[in-house]
Amino acid sequence: MSVVNYGTREITCKIVYYGPGRSGKTTNLQHVYSQLPEERKGKMVSLATETDRTLFFDFLPLDLGTISGFATRFQLYTVPGQVYYAATRKLVLQGVDGVVFVADSQSRQLAENIESLQDLHANLADEGFDPRTIPLVMQYNKRDLPSGEISSVEDLDETLNFRGVPHYSAVAVNGKGVFETLRSISTLVLARLSAPAAKGS
Amino acid sequence: MAKEPEEEEGGEFADFLADVSKEVADAVESLAGPANVPAEEPRTTPVVAAERKKTPATVDSGVIAEWPNIADRLIEEVR
Repeated sequence: MSVVNYGTREITCKIVYYGPGRSGKTTNLQHVYSQLPEERKGKMVSLATETDRTLFFDFLPLDLGTISGFATRFQLYTVPGQVYYAATRKLVLQGVDGVVFVADSQSRQLAENIESLQDLHANLADEGFDPRTIPLVMQYNKRDLPSGEISSVEDLDETLNFRGVPHYSAVAVNGKGVFETLRSISTLVLARLSAPAAKGS
Repeated sequence: MAKEPEEEEGGEFADFLADVSKEVADAVESLAGPANVPAEEPRTTPVVAAERKKTPATVDSGVIAEWPNIADRLIEEVR
């Protein structure tokens, strides 16, 4: 995806929320959408199955207005977490500028988190991205669950965050940590605009 | 029961926007070269194209300029 279009003075950033099924990816986008002032509320596209699981993807366009003469837009996507939607995840990753990995903090979901992270790396590589350098932020969601049911942040970080990227604790269902995560990935993506030569290296 | 004050509508988003705006401004500034390229002018129909459609106004476009000579030739023919 072309991030900066000098001719039309537009900046467009595509951010994908990735993670295992039921980790809270759609909930992140729903919270962002709920906080948008009315005049900026576009349309959040959400395709779900009859059991409320994301079937294809969620799409939330964020129009930030004109900044320094550039019309700035963020496009937030989620992927379906269930393993059998591999082709869709790959499709949604095309042209991605930054990834938020939403991990489920529940101890019993650790294997699913690892599998999803490996799936992310494989799909990024297939799409021509270097999984070691693409802007990435980790979000450890569901921190409100009883301590006996969830892994510690340190353990999650040790297991999942081998790149040492920024990580955030979150309770997406009530909005905690959602905007911190979005702000962080936005900063990483925008920082890349300043150093385009480093892209893909 | 005490109730927490409701957050101003768009409060979280407004904070986010303020932060991101600064990041975008920094990024645009760092891209000094290409960013200073003037925006494209809105495209208009070239004037030349419109003019091409006009019938050329030349001296022989339906106007008989050498009438006397032609009259002479007609008289000659009749003879």
